[in-house]
Amino acid sequence: MIRVLKLEWLKVKNYRVFWVLTAMYLVALLIIASAGGLFLEWLKHQGADFDGIDPTILPIFDFPDIWQNITYLGSFVKIFLAFIVIISVNNDLTYNTLRQNIIDGFSKKEYLASKMMMIISMALISTLFVFIAGLINGSIYSHVFGTDVIFDEMEFLAAYFYEIVVYSTLAFLLALIIKKAGFVIVALFLYTIMFEPIAVAILENAPVFKDGVWPEIAQFFPIKSLNNLIKVPFGRYIFMEIEDNISLKAIAISLGWFVFYLSSISFILNKRDLK
Amino acid sequence: MTNALEIKGLSKSFGKIKAVQNLNLSVLPGQVYGILGPNGSGKTTTLGMILDVVSPNEGSFSWFDNMPNVDARKKIGAILETPCFLPYLTAVQNLEIVAHIKKAGKNQIENVLKQVGLLERRNDKFKTYSLGMKQRLSIAAALLSNPPVLILDEPTNGLDPQGIAEVRELISEIAAQGKTIILASHLLDEVQKVCSHFCVLKEGVKIHEGIVSDTLEEINLVEINSNNNQLLNIKLEEFEGLDSIKPNGNTLQLQLKEGFSAKEVNEFCFEHGIVLKKLLTHTNSLEKEFLKILKDHD
Repeated sequence: MIRVLKLEWLKVKNYRVFWVLTAMYLVALLIIASAGGLFLEWLKHQGADFDGIDPTILPIFDFPDIWQNITYLGSFVKIFLAFIVIISVNNDLTYNTLRQNIIDGFSKKEYLASKMMMIISMALISTLFVFIAGLINGSIYSHVFGTDVIFDEMEFLAAYFYEIVVYSTLAFLLALIIKKAGFVIVALFLYTIMFEPIAVAILENAPVFKDGVWPEIAQFFPIKSLNNLIKVPFGRYIFMEIEDNISLKAIAISLGWFVFYLSSISFILNKRDLK
Repeated sequence: MTNALEIKGLSKSFGKIKAVQNLNLSVLPGQVYGILGPNGSGKTTTLGMILDVVSPNEGSFSWFDNMPNVDARKKIGAILETPCFLPYLTAVQNLEIVAHIKKAGKNQIENVLKQVGLLERRNDKFKTYSLGMKQRLSIAAALLSNPPVLILDEPTNGLDPQGIAEVRELISEIAAQGKTIILASHLLDEVQKVCSHFCVLKEGVKIHEGIVSDTLEEINLVEINSNNNQLLNIKLEEFEGLDSIKPNGNTLQLQLKEGFSAKEVNEFCFEHGIVLKKLLTHTNSLEKEFLKILKDHD
C-alpha cells in the first residue's frame, strides 16, 4: 500500500497546482470550521426569532454538538479535493502517464489502488484538520468540558471522512470517463450544487410529486445520499427536532454508489485500450 | 529459458479494422528482432498488447516462459511511440517514478542520463525539452532498470541525424551485451543495421519472417575485374555457378546461382591462373527485399 501511495506522492510532490489547490482547500476549511460565530451574527442579522434570545450566545461550539456542526459545514468544500483528484487523473490520461505506468510494471489494480490511497490520505488529513479545528474552537468557546463530551459523537468525523472518500471516487470515475479536466470540474460542480439539489427539491416539494414515491426516490440520488449522512444541525438552535444520528439508510445507499463507482473504474481500466 | 517472448494467435480489431490478425511469433533471448511494416500495419498495436496496454481480442502471449506479466514488465525497458512523462517534473523526477515502479535503485538515474547525453539538462522540466531530448529521455527510462529485454518502437523518431547515429550505436552496444531487443520500425535501414532477425507485417498479418543476413545475401551479385577482362569473361563461361554475366564499365557483373558466393568465384579464377584486381559482393538492401515481399503479398 505504501508502494502505491508513494507513486502518487512522486507525481504530486513537485506539482504546484496540487499544492495551490490543497492550500486553498485547507484555508477554506479553516474559515468554515471557525466561522460559526460569523454564521450566528448572520442569523441575528436575519432577525431570527429566538424568543428574544441573542443568537450569538447559541452554543454551536459546545461539545459534542460541535462535531456535527463543523463536519456539516466542512463537507461543503469537499469539492476542492474532488478537483485535485480530477486533475491528477486527467494528467495521467493527457500525458499518457497511466499507460507509461502500466508499461513500466504497474498493474491496473495497483494504479486504481494508488489513486484510492491518495483519496483516502487526503480524506484522513482533512478529517484530522477538522478534528483539530474542532478541538481548538471547542476549547475556546465550549460551555461544557470533559472527555466524555469532547469525544462523544465522533461518528460525525467518521461520516465526514467517508463522505469525502465516496465523493472523490465519483470524481475519479468522471475524470476517467470524460477525459477533459475543465469539463469534468464544471459538470461535477454544477451537478453537486445545482442540478441534483434542484431535482431533489422538486421531487420532495412539488405538489405533483410529494405525495408519491418520488421524495423517497430522491433519497437514492448520489449527492443526496451523501448529504443525508450529516444532516443540517442548526435546527436545534431554533428548537426544531433534528436528526443527530447518522442514518444507516444513507450509509447503505452511499455505500452502494461507492461500490458502483469502484467497479466502474475497474471495468474501464481493464477494458479501455490505452493508446 | 527457451523463449524471451512467445506470441500465439494474437488478434486485435478496432471496430471494423483488423489491426493484428492471428500473429504467431517467438523471440529467443539475445535476439535483436525487427518488426517491419508500413505505417498502420499493426506494429504498435502488437507491442501494446504484449505490454498489457491494449487488450487482445484473441490469442495469448507469454514473457520469459510464463512469468506473470506484471513482473515481466518490470524486466522490460519499453518505448512505445511518443515519450510519456509528466511535463511539470524534471528528467530526474520523472525517472524517479520509473525507478520506483520498476523497483530499481535511484543510483542508476545519473548513469542512464549520461548514456543518452541528458546529464546537463537533468534538472530541467520535461516540458522545456525538444522532441529529440524527449525521445532520449524515454530511451534513458527504458534503460533504467538494466532490463534484459528492450522494446523499441520507432526509437529514432524525431532525432537529428547525429542523434539517430548515436541511438543506433547505443542499440548495437546494448545488443552486444547479450540483451534481447525487439525493434519496430518502418525504417528498413535501421532494421538492416541493427537486427539479426526480422518479420514483416502487412495489414496486421505476418507475411514474412527471416534472418537479416540471409535475406541480404540472396541477391548474389558479384562485381569483378582483372587485367584482362576479355579473358576473364571467356573463362567464366565455364564456371558452374554462373547465372549471367554483364560488362559494366571496366568491371564485370556476375549474377551467381543460388549456393554460390564471391568465395567460389575467387577460387575458380585462382585455379585458372587469373588474378582478380577487384572482387566486390553486392548485398541486397533490405529495402528492395522488403518491397518485393510486400509486392508478393498484394
